Amino acid sequence: MREMKKMNRANSKTIQFCGWAVLAIVLTGSAFAAVPGITGPTFNLTAQDAHLNQPDGSAVYSWGYGCSQKPSGFVPQGIANATCPSMQVPGPTLVVTEGQTVTVNLTNNLPAAAGNTSILFPGFQVATTGGVVGLITQEAAPGGSVTYSFTASSPGTRGYYSGTQGDLQVEMGLYGAIVVLPKNPPANCSAGYHASNLLAEQHWGESDFRLSTAAYDHPSTCYDREYLFQWAEMDSRIHRQAEAQVLDPTRVALCAQGAATAGCSLSVQTEPYHPAYFLINGRSMPYLMDPNYAAEYPHQPYNGNPHMHPGELVLIRTVGQGRWQHPFHEHANHVRILARDGNLILTPDGQALAGILMFNTDTTPGQAFDGIFYFTARGLNWDAYGHHPAPNTPGSPADANASLPCTPDANGYNTGDPTAINYFEWCQDHNKPLQVNPFGDVAAGGPATLPDPNIFTNGAWYGGTPYLGPDASLRATAPACDTTQNAGCTTLLPSNTQANPANERGWAFMWHSHNEREITTNNVFPGGMLMMMLVDSREFVIDESL
Amino acid sequence: MGNRKVRTPLSILLPICLATFAAHAQSFRVQCPTSTITHPSTVTNVNAEPAYNGPTVFATVPVANGQGGYLTPTSNVNGAIKCQQISGGDGYSTMADGTQTFMFSFGPLSGLADIANGLPGTQFPTAFNSLYPYPTPLQPGDPATTDKASDSPYTQGGYQEGAPGAFAWNGAVGLVPDVDANNGSGTAGALIDGHVDPRQIMDVGVMNGNIPAPLIGIDEDDELFLTLTNVGMIMRPDLFEQHTVHFHGYPNASSFYDGVPDASVAINIGGSFTYYYLSPDAGTYFYHCHITPPEHLQMGMVGQLYVRPRQNRLASGTSLYAGLQFQQSDLRTACSPANDILCSATLPAINTGTAQGPDKLGNPQKYAYNDGDGSTAYDVEYPLQMHGFDPNFHFVGMTFNPEAFVDMKDKYFLLNGRSYPDTVRPGPQATQSSDGKMHYSQPLPAIINIPVGGKALLRLVNLSVSEYHTIQSLGVPMKVVGWNAKLLRDQEGNNTEYYTNSITLGGGESLDAILDASNTALFQPGQVFYLYSPNLDHLSNDAENFGGLMTEVHICNSVSSSTFGNTCN
Repeated sequence: MREMKKMNRANSKTIQFCGWAVLAIVLTGSAFAAVPGITGPTFNLTAQDAHLNQPDGSAVYSWGYGCSQKPSGFVPQGIANATCPSMQVPGPTLVVTEGQTVTVNLTNNLPAAAGNTSILFPGFQVATTGGVVGLITQEAAPGGSVTYSFTASSPGTRGYYSGTQGDLQVEMGLYGAIVVLPKNPPANCSAGYHASNLLAEQHWGESDFRLSTAAYDHPSTCYDREYLFQWAEMDSRIHRQAEAQVLDPTRVALCAQGAATAGCSLSVQTEPYHPAYFLINGRSMPYLMDPNYAAEYPHQPYNGNPHMHPGELVLIRTVGQGRWQHPFHEHANHVRILARDGNLILTPDGQALAGILMFNTDTTPGQAFDGIFYFTARGLNWDAYGHHPAPNTPGSPADANASLPCTPDANGYNTGDPTAINYFEWCQDHNKPLQVNPFGDVAAGGPATLPDPNIFTNGAWYGGTPYLGPDASLRATAPACDTTQNAGCTTLLPSNTQANPANERGWAFMWHSHNEREITTNNVFPGGMLMMMLVDSREFVIDESL
Repeated sequence: MGNRKVRTPLSILLPICLATFAAHAQSFRVQCPTSTITHPSTVTNVNAEPAYNGPTVFATVPVANGQGGYLTPTSNVNGAIKCQQISGGDGYSTMADGTQTFMFSFGPLSGLADIANGLPGTQFPTAFNSLYPYPTPLQPGDPATTDKASDSPYTQGGYQEGAPGAFAWNGAVGLVPDVDANNGSGTAGALIDGHVDPRQIMDVGVMNGNIPAPLIGIDEDDELFLTLTNVGMIMRPDLFEQHTVHFHGYPNASSFYDGVPDASVAINIGGSFTYYYLSPDAGTYFYHCHITPPEHLQMGMVGQLYVRPRQNRLASGTSLYAGLQFQQSDLRTACSPANDILCSATLPAINTGTAQGPDKLGNPQKYAYNDGDGSTAYDVEYPLQMHGFDPNFHFVGMTFNPEAFVDMKDKYFLLNGRSYPDTVRPGPQATQSSDGKMHYSQPLPAIINIPVGGKALLRLVNLSVSEYHTIQSLGVPMKVVGWNAKLLRDQEGNNTEYYTNSITLGGGESLDAILDASNTALFQPGQVFYLYSPNLDHLSNDAENFGGLMTEVHICNSVSSSTFGNTCN
């Protein structure tokens, strides 16, 4: 018996891990993220029910906001298969510009037994038209409508969510985000590094998927790339109760006599609360990293799959939905908190930033924050690209990428030539070797000895090399393997399956909840609130349209 | 005493595990070079921290034979080389209600004497590379065995910790001369190059888990060589678990050395891997295994790591402001908010004119950060790790059953791996393991001794995998000066530090709080204050409703040293 349990344990763990890892790899081939949303300023929304797909195979009955008619437009431009279904979790991301008058027409198409519903827009002065009186706002009765209107008075990221029986309705999925873009993005956000980053993008044929160039009207809030993450947990037992009651023939019959009929209502226990699913943008790992608008998840259109190039300032828009706090740990660097709930945190004279730096950015229910992250590999004390001055291994053609120059700018980065593969390299460590006795074609003489690769287990996002860049694994893993032209080379190490794009060697970092049990899906690891962030070598095209 | 002993069929399990090693050659080794590009022994003493009087001066090495073309120091070399070895494996710890708890854990494989004394196990090369000097070989359970720790019914806690100090060696366990590398000419004069004898590593490293994991303390400009040696989990021969080290919070980390198995390599049983980092900016970080984090963190693979600032190394009389100006002249150590949105140790808005001088202990004044104004000065420092153990999860983890994550519920609430009243018992806490030996399982107490009029830096981290924790200081105010290993200062140099009597951290977060007892009218020698969790259900030890996340703050006439292991006079 003990033996059997042992086998089961080992097997189930292995099978689950391998199965999911492979699935993730197959699905994530080239999926990216950006901040997809719909434009207004008038939004026609509906609240409806549908099922959400989770990676343990379950389809969880949920409620969500969706579009009751085609929205004015989708942003950013060019994301494939953009759609706004009649129900989605999170709800459609509403993208407006500072100063616009926003009108949201909400129709309640939830099952009649669910009762009224509504939307709160914290941070805005909301006027309501129509609907019925609710506890904290005007509500839409079953089959009815209500209209909310407000001025998008200041930029920033904020949440919106149901203001009706929130313990049930928010849990069921009635939440979303609204992004207000600054009316006057500062001019410096199109100059300096931001201008040269854009030149680099254009050189490699990469499109600009930003909604704006600045998060606020303030010159310290420029960014080069952006992502939105909405964090919420889910107790599927609540959802099962709701579904059972909605389908209950007695209730259905009563509701058929009119939504106001006594007994046409739900009685769902929302405590004790015991979530088993931990969601970012309505999805769990590995589904989370699949493309936006993927057909497999018709009601979970938004993904979480951050990418960036060295030196880009990345705007992280985050909203805490649900009812728990989650410590969001960004591997690889700190995040400067710009603002909370759209309120910039500035020095007393208003000239500079005063938000704190965090490597764990807490997400709090109902609270949003905007933060800036970047990665440059500054200060590693070894050349992140594995450059060395004379890469020509005897018998092999030279690899020009191995000996690129690095000319420091005023901040020490190689930014003079935006078309260089090692654009934004940290020059103080240029040519400095890491390995004492390297494999392949990188210089010797460094401080660290890498052991026999056979005692390692290689991760799916591991490029087979410590180094970054298109030729890194070729030069750094096999002798006489100094060029992508060398047919005798292999990019794969034993046991290595590749989620790291094969035509580059990106550096992958985990972004996840550090309440670690939340990186599981219904008791299975890996899952839940977990994403792999990739720092992609400059020449690799991050195509957020996919 | 029965509950202290774990009866297991070790005689059955051990041969299985050893057979694994016999059939598949191990690949243990350690790394601790005595000279590197960044710390060339020809230019600097790699075994000491020189005074900081400006950035290291570099020159480019000429290109020859496909090498060179990089910067190497020519003078004014800052920092040193530091090395440490830890095991990845399993072990037992003792909860405050006497229950023995099984852990997946890191344990010390270097700096054993220092760790038993509550200090970081991080060593200069000369100490790390020293061979074990005693006539008898290292014993299983060492250093507790040599210290003669015993399962004695006569002492307060049910065991006798022995006499820390009997064991005084801090070298790397297993290190032996590399006879082969010396052309087989015998041991005389043979190389110390990281070659190890795996028998010693297995003798000492197996079942030697610590909670918290071995303390790591380094200085800015140091190179750290941290070797993780995976000795396997003897109690779980069904698992072929890899382990890794994640340097949590390291800015501009490399993916390769980040310890995430999905993004890099994971170290199999029988293997060693040396992580290499140049110290990041000063601050309170921590480390943990990143394999199946909800499991390996809950099971105990969590340790503390902090980086001390350059400002500590300023010569006496040097202006702190001038010291920070030195740092602005090297792009690697500079903080210019206009050019770098992710730095905080910029020049202070107000030059207080403070100069480096002695602290209350008569040592050079120490600081949490390169503040340039003395605002983070402290006299004594105490790393405090908050954690929680779910006894059900740990019990299931000791058996061969799958653990459930959804139902995880911590019931032991730990400060440095101990619950009250164990938190205030001095010396290393020992646990008898299933090998019949006493092991130092919880080397760090959590007693906060403050010299009268002094300030104690609490390096607080929360590594709980399921809960936020609040810590309240009853009496002595807390000045929060750092958050997530960054100085609290805005981009214009205004300090945003604040006073409070409670702090709240989620899993994976750290902060620096200074317990400020400088008001001698209020805080007098002999007084005792309390640090405890106002999450009142965290003041329990499983079924015992008194204990948990709590410790004592003592105001002393003087203290004998600046961290754990000191004496309150």
